Amino acid sequence: MKKIIYFSISLFMLCSCTSQQKLYSWDKYQTTSYNYLKNSDEKSTQELIKTYQGIIAKQTGTRSVVPPGIYADYGFLLLQVNKTAEGKEMLLKEIALYPESKVFIDRILKKLEK
Amino acid sequence: MKKTTILFVLITIVLSSCSTPKTVLKTVAYKGMYNEKPHSVLLMPPINRSTAVDAKEYFHSTLIVPLANAGFYVIPPFLSMEILKKESAYDAELFLNSSLTKFGEIFGADMVLFTIINKWDKTYGNVSVGVEYILKSTKTNEILYDRKGIINYNTSISSSGGGLVGALINVAATSINTAATKYVDVARVCNGYTLSDLPIGKYAPIDPKESEQFAGENNFNVSLNSKYGY
Repeated sequence: MKKIIYFSISLFMLCSCTSQQKLYSWDKYQTTSYNYLKNSDEKSTQELIKTYQGIIAKQTGTRSVVPPGIYADYGFLLLQVNKTAEGKEMLLKEIALYPESKVFIDRILKKLEK
Repeated sequence: MKKTTILFVLITIVLSSCSTPKTVLKTVAYKGMYNEKPHSVLLMPPINRSTAVDAKEYFHSTLIVPLANAGFYVIPPFLSMEILKKESAYDAELFLNSSLTKFGEIFGADMVLFTIINKWDKTYGNVSVGVEYILKSTKTNEILYDRKGIINYNTSISSSGGGLVGALINVAATSINTAATKYVDVARVCNGYTLSDLPIGKYAPIDPKESEQFAGENNFNVSLNSKYGY
């Protein structure tokens, strides 16, 4: 009996060492965002757009919501490729999901109206 | 008596295998963060003092992940970068020691992250990176978090599980080349390792144990590879 207790204690402690599940999942974000940052060409733009779509479509993180900044940056990219209406819609989605972004995003939306 | 001793030894071994000795509590080391409870963070373009021109982008594109996963609101990185460029504020070095109040007003950021790449030296199978992360408050201009270190990253251990075939598929999936993928991973690991002791932000579930956790060494030297997850 005691052995079982010792065993469970050590097992429990070992488990607490491993990393916990993350809040969000990021698809291929780290490489495609690097590539866009570096090249900003047609191909890297399309790949990053695809990554954003993937992040938005499927979240395996514990919060099950789109991570901060993603809707807004996706919207920004859509604006770059002249999808203005869709881009604005994404900026508004960022505000709806993360109200703390309102100060900044409203400023961008105002500039777009001009 | 004997059993108690065995149990004690067992616990000590298990505990010590988790981490190197750490002595300062997070609540003490990052007191400012616990007092101010910042929610949002603006990522400044990394300051590159290394000789590798690409190092800046490797870090810039990977910073959002550990900060968002720690529970903070990260100001949209590409959108904010565009505005920083337009406002001639793209050189973060200029703001390292100046007032950050404006960044609070324009971006709604409670804090600003400065990343300084001091070193990025490649030798065969290894990259030695010197990096420092500083979080500063836009309200008080105080330093809330500061850690720096040397990370010796072994690049000869592949991150893609599928061996050569897996690696080829990964490359085919994006137009990025293998070397770049590898170095993005170096930056990812540097960010993840260093920022792993960040206090948690409002979107992370409350951790009742947080007040008992220790901060990492504020000046460290470690060896890591792509197997390091965060």
